[in-house]
Amino acid sequence: MNKPKLSVAERREENWGWIMVAPTIIGLCILNLWPFVQTIYASFCEHLGFGHYQFIGIQNYIDMFGNREFWKATWNTVWFCILTVPVGIILALFIAIMLNAKVKFKGGFRTIFFLPLVCAPAAVAMVWRWIFNGEYGILNQLLGANIQWITNSKTAVLAIAIVSVWSSVGYDAVLLLAGLQNIPKTLYEANSIDGAGKVRQFFTITLPMVSPTLFSVLIMRLMASLKVYDLIYMMADETNPALTDMQSLMYLFYRSSFVAGDRGYGSAIVVWTVFVILLVTLIQFWGQKKWVTYDI
Amino acid sequence: MKDSLHRSYMMTKFVTYFFLILGSIIMIFPFLWMIFTSFKTVPESMQIPATILPAQIMWDNFRDAMDSLPFDRLYLNTALMVFFRVICAIFFSSMAGYAFAKLKFRFKNLLFGIVLVQMSLPSQIFIIPQYQMVAKMGMANTIFALVFPGLVSAFGVFFLRQTYLSIPDEVGEAAYLDGCNQWVTFYKIMFPLTGTSVAALTIFTAVFAYGDLMWPLVVNSDLKMMTLSSGLSTLKGQFTTNFPVLMSGSLLAMLPMVVLYLIFQRQFVEGIAGTGGK
Amino acid sequence: MKKIPRMIAAAMALVLLLSLAGCGSADGKTHLTFQIWDVAQRDGMDAMCKAYTAQHPDVEIEVQVTSWSEYWTKLEAAAESNTMPDIFWMHTDQILYYADFGMLADLTDLYDGVEANYYQNHYSDISIGNASGTDGKVYGVPKDKDNIVLVYNKEMFDAAGVAYPDENWTWDDLMDASQKIYDATGKYGYMAYNDEQIGYWNFVYQNGGYILDPETNLHAGYTQPATAEAIEYYVNIQKNEWCPDQTYFAETSPGTAFFSEICSMFFEGSWNLLNEMKSYPGMVGKWDVAMLPKCPNPASGDGRGTISNGLCYSTAARGKNLEAVKDVLRFFGSEEGQRIQGESGAAIPAYQGLEDTWSTKFHDYSYMLDLDQIYSQFDHAVQYINNASRRKWKSNAADEMVKIYSGDQSIETGLAKMQALADAYDK
Repeated sequence: MNKPKLSVAERREENWGWIMVAPTIIGLCILNLWPFVQTIYASFCEHLGFGHYQFIGIQNYIDMFGNREFWKATWNTVWFCILTVPVGIILALFIAIMLNAKVKFKGGFRTIFFLPLVCAPAAVAMVWRWIFNGEYGILNQLLGANIQWITNSKTAVLAIAIVSVWSSVGYDAVLLLAGLQNIPKTLYEANSIDGAGKVRQFFTITLPMVSPTLFSVLIMRLMASLKVYDLIYMMADETNPALTDMQSLMYLFYRSSFVAGDRGYGSAIVVWTVFVILLVTLIQFWGQKKWVTYDI
Repeated sequence: MKDSLHRSYMMTKFVTYFFLILGSIIMIFPFLWMIFTSFKTVPESMQIPATILPAQIMWDNFRDAMDSLPFDRLYLNTALMVFFRVICAIFFSSMAGYAFAKLKFRFKNLLFGIVLVQMSLPSQIFIIPQYQMVAKMGMANTIFALVFPGLVSAFGVFFLRQTYLSIPDEVGEAAYLDGCNQWVTFYKIMFPLTGTSVAALTIFTAVFAYGDLMWPLVVNSDLKMMTLSSGLSTLKGQFTTNFPVLMSGSLLAMLPMVVLYLIFQRQFVEGIAGTGGK
Repeated sequence: MKKIPRMIAAAMALVLLLSLAGCGSADGKTHLTFQIWDVAQRDGMDAMCKAYTAQHPDVEIEVQVTSWSEYWTKLEAAAESNTMPDIFWMHTDQILYYADFGMLADLTDLYDGVEANYYQNHYSDISIGNASGTDGKVYGVPKDKDNIVLVYNKEMFDAAGVAYPDENWTWDDLMDASQKIYDATGKYGYMAYNDEQIGYWNFVYQNGGYILDPETNLHAGYTQPATAEAIEYYVNIQKNEWCPDQTYFAETSPGTAFFSEICSMFFEGSWNLLNEMKSYPGMVGKWDVAMLPKCPNPASGDGRGTISNGLCYSTAARGKNLEAVKDVLRFFGSEEGQRIQGESGAAIPAYQGLEDTWSTKFHDYSYMLDLDQIYSQFDHAVQYINNASRRKWKSNAADEMVKIYSGDQSIETGLAKMQALADAYDK
């Protein structure tokens, strides 16, 4: 340790830093990091039963990468993200901007758009399952169509994505609305004297100013989408013929580890999922320098 | 010139209202459908073509749902779980978020890395290890068990760090030069500036805790110690695809939250929106 | 702002208090936990426990219900950390995994002081088989037994002028009746949905086929001719206009369809019947049960068969209250305990001769189901299919079945794959 000595003030700052992050870091290590380390180890093992593992090297990974179902699940997850993240965030921004404008019944609209927030996801999944029902669902009757939304391999992911966007768009809009309202009005006033149009105002002021919030929302939504599991669990049954065409990576993990009891293989799927998420997140953090504006 | 300006203004208005109304219909329709279905008999719910309004009001569905679940306990447990998770999230995440944003200390990036890694980990992998921790402590079937995974919140740290980053450094430095130590600077000067974000984090944590399904099911086996979401899931196990009863149960589960929301929706939105234009 | 830390401290204290409240009180009694997965049987289990604690005031038993899928996640996690509940239900799908790993207490000698050959004297071989490990020792006190029955809508049969199902019914009659009812009323006939225990297993055994060979219980028989024939027959039922296809069943359970008067027949497990009487009061009197139709021309055997399963009560091998628990289990397996279970309507007692105590609760309704059909069917019962390795391949095999139904693969290819999956674990 031959670093330059810290001044008293610096040392005090360092101590405070450690004290303030300690509860969180200790908690995360015990609650989350340690189980993850165990998961990594398990991914190189065969599960003999009741938490007894036998080391088998990279066999689980060989099996996994050679499995079509696994690649299908990876694609389903990516496809789900493509369907939910851009659409969801653009819609949320759109709603936030409209709700930030001067409109009548603003309170009423806000109330309605944020309503899904206060619903238990289990309830949301149930009602949508009923709406999507191929035989008795109201959606098909309204459309005059005969689409097996949840049991057809072509529409199943789409159906799940619709529910996901429906239930999260209000929340994202709330966060973005907060970001929008923090933009000083004086910025717009100065700008409108310049005679800038609404559209240009959006790109020169609104978007840059709201970009830190947008970034948080993006990261959050991406991570949630890559980890999607609950919705599929609640909307599809084991006998659903479209299950392999809709199951996400985490759903495949659930079925391997919890249903089939093959925890080694399931752990390999988790490690892969986390790898994908970290990769995407790193790309986002690297990319944010290009479009996110801090501290104006 | 003036006329065209006026026309484009009207156009904007029209488009805005059009989308707001269309969006509202899409957002509210599932709720209406839930309400209508909950009053139907099973055969009526499966009728083709569907009836929109129920032929007669079937309170029996609500009675069946209430017979199957101890709703009063579910409300209480959910409220307690949400409350404690929110308190923990705000307290610990504010401290850590502030430290990560404003303080210099060794290993800061490494430790923040842990936070980011946790956010990318799927919660399902924690269920078994965390359950075993709770079971070893002899704490299964308690409110503590429900709160346990939410004691610390990586997302909260990440989110509040973003907030503290957006507060100019000078604010803290001024206080520091006035002789406040880091802790006082944090909780007297900086923390109060983050009201909006704390409100948003509160809502996020509450919504997440409220929706958490698997954990309460695994850690608390007694129906009396369940939360609303997990209780609903047991209802689904019992009534499979009897949608009128499931919808009644869902409505009962949502009712308190929706009523609270409707009463406090002004504060809710304004809490998030903060004081508005600075 | 000074209030905040104080508020948080108070909150933390409250958490601590609440959590302590969860740790049983120190009243000197032995507190036992009893974990089950079926909420409909909670009252029955409570009644049984109360009967025991009335005789043993120093013991208290708390019944806890966890839903089916979480039940196993939790029980396994608890077994690993040695925190299993004192008493818990065991299912045939899982018992070998737990027993063979040494997680369950050996209960073979439980009744040694009471009666020699107690299990053999009072329980059927199937019941004992469902409660035994691969080593043949008994790891659970038999709880109940069930089988699969045909449930039919009397009004629809009347409307189509078809006679109600009786013991002479064959698969052909099932098809005929379905067609006639569909033609006359437009309602669906027999709902042949993708299921093992309540579905094609019955057809396989009636046809003289097998899923696991009856001799050794080791080798799978998916490609065995009689098995393949029966599965093909069963899967193809969905090709009839009077039977919806699997996409329908993935969204609407046959039970819901039946009690909404959308179909006329489906197979049901006996354990669901009482709950269905209760849940659909408007349907009471409109429906009844019959024994399963038999195979008209079986490859071998008499064409009869119904899959019969049963649960048992188990306890952990390393349990802290083992002696106290064993005494409770002894009571659960006694005539008195089993009678309470039957009379509470929870399930058909596994104890021989007490079957019809289960009818008690059905008398509360204005129409009495023909439950004798179920009791007499036990003569043709086929033990629920299971062996030590099935756990590892069964979910993959079920996936192949789903692919057969979705048309992604032919029945022949699918069965060959299922056979290969099972064979891979066949030592």
